[in-house]
Amino acid sequence: MNDLNLDYTLFIPEYFLAGLVVLLVVLDLYVTQVKKSWLSYIAAAGLAATAGVSLCWIDKQSNFARIVAIDNYTTYFRVFFMATGAIVCLASGKLVEDKLRHPGEFFALVILSTIGAIGMAASRELMTAYLSLELLSFSLYILVSFEKFDLRSNEAGIKYLLLGAFASAFFLYGMSLIYGVTGSTYYSDISANLSQGTDKFEWALLMGLVLMITGLGFKVAAVPFHMWTPDAYEGAPVAITAYLSTTSKAAGFALLLRLFSGAFQVVHDDWSWMIAGIAAATMILGNLVALQQHNIKRLMAYSSIGQVGYMLMGIAGLSHNTASALVLHMTGYMVSNMAIFIVIIAWYNMTGKEEIGDFRGMRERAPLLAGVLAGALFSLAGLPLFAGFVTKFILFQAVTDQGYYWLAAIGVVTSVISLYYYLQVMKQAFVIKPDEGDEALLPVPLLMNGMAAALMLGVFYVGLYPQQLFDAIDNATGFLFV
Amino acid sequence: MIEQFGRGGFLLVFAVIFPLIPILASVALGIFKIRPSAPDPIKESVYECGMVPIGDAHVRYNVRYYLFGLLFVVFDVEAVFLYPWAVAYRHLGVYAFVEAMIFIGILAIGLAYAWRKRALEWI
Repeated sequence: MNDLNLDYTLFIPEYFLAGLVVLLVVLDLYVTQVKKSWLSYIAAAGLAATAGVSLCWIDKQSNFARIVAIDNYTTYFRVFFMATGAIVCLASGKLVEDKLRHPGEFFALVILSTIGAIGMAASRELMTAYLSLELLSFSLYILVSFEKFDLRSNEAGIKYLLLGAFASAFFLYGMSLIYGVTGSTYYSDISANLSQGTDKFEWALLMGLVLMITGLGFKVAAVPFHMWTPDAYEGAPVAITAYLSTTSKAAGFALLLRLFSGAFQVVHDDWSWMIAGIAAATMILGNLVALQQHNIKRLMAYSSIGQVGYMLMGIAGLSHNTASALVLHMTGYMVSNMAIFIVIIAWYNMTGKEEIGDFRGMRERAPLLAGVLAGALFSLAGLPLFAGFVTKFILFQAVTDQGYYWLAAIGVVTSVISLYYYLQVMKQAFVIKPDEGDEALLPVPLLMNGMAAALMLGVFYVGLYPQQLFDAIDNATGFLFV
Repeated sequence: MIEQFGRGGFLLVFAVIFPLIPILASVALGIFKIRPSAPDPIKESVYECGMVPIGDAHVRYNVRYYLFGLLFVVFDVEAVFLYPWAVAYRHLGVYAFVEAMIFIGILAIGLAYAWRKRALEWI
């Protein structure tokens, strides 16, 4: 036990984030000279700086007491989650000022959940993974119900809390079964024990896997565990909807990848059929139900469910290639999704509306936002030039290499279906004229325009020059399969 | 074996006698007129942690009760954690001291936060 590596300097980025949390709360409470609108800039700047600090750990493989791995995979997700958090903090500045109270807590909770998400990507032991998952979830429960006097926000919060607690219980029970049959909570020990044959505990192992997949399925919103998603997304403040649909999902997948590659790759045949079935159901149902939505947040909820289906394909045929393709797709999805949500947030700030029909006349009233909306929606649908095409192409190719032709076929067909509802949004924004007397240009803040344009550049970067990013991701996911 | 049961029996006898002592004392003091007799309805009702003892169990609590309850639990648990730490302190050394200080520091920030947010005032 004494040769454990207890190197506390490995967590320096997390210390920074925790310090940032305290700083934000204290600034909000005690330093009245600081304007509340600055808090979002402070939070975003802190996250961006910490992301820079975490780059120091590139190519330094290490671990903390075997429970947390600091390798390129962790570093990639550190940067990923901090970037997402920074974008959300910047984008929600005006929203928090106008619509919500307690700005200090809002940004502090976003950063706390970022720490949880990083822990999920980094942990190599079940209890640590579970604690990180709960840190992320608890922060999100509060954030979803942050619009204190809005009934929908309260409803969303309580639904998310109850179902999330159920999911955690499932996950925990699955963990206990896995611990029971393998005698360890370390991924590597589980893997070593499982490779010695599973004949004696075939059913307990299966049950444990089913429960763990159920619990994580809830967290990433896979069909049939997706029922909370549209309600939580609709009720949450719109910036938190953006956050839920990226960080919470990406963290779930980061954990799934590390867990299933580290612990359960040796019993791949026992669970791949389950994930494949869930992936197929998720792609079909998410994309079909999205066709009937008229609220933009609900539409994005179902669209994100559909995207989860594509990502789950990568877990079903888990290999180094599919893992890289999955993370690449997730990155492209994050950038496109964030671009869309920047547009939704800006539009909501200016008009107070969030129905798809309310987007009419966006071309005349906010041309740059309309352009970004179109580009990002095309990217999610998977049209060439944009990020979605190349990431989906690589993902589908990696999945077919693993023999899942039928899954890739469903993926292609549902992508075409998804184009229909994305085009419905674009029809409102571009074809339908604005209401009479409501045609004037809207004063879009420079910050929102700038972020939308920057994210659009990101979409093109992933779509046109994915090689550099793909190499980085391929290197990162390589650490999962040593 | 019997001896162990005997100890248990002694405890049982003690448990019966112990509450009888104040009751009998009270009655005896009443008979000899040492204790003043001034009954009032609140004094004669059953004491149940300050709650109304008779009536519907679905009483509405004031929501502020929960704020205090939560804060109480936090510091209650803090005390529970600090007991074993204090007992084993000599073996653990500086490392445990620093960890406990971090733990107390986090709770102190929480208390300062609650204080500033005026959660401690019964408005």
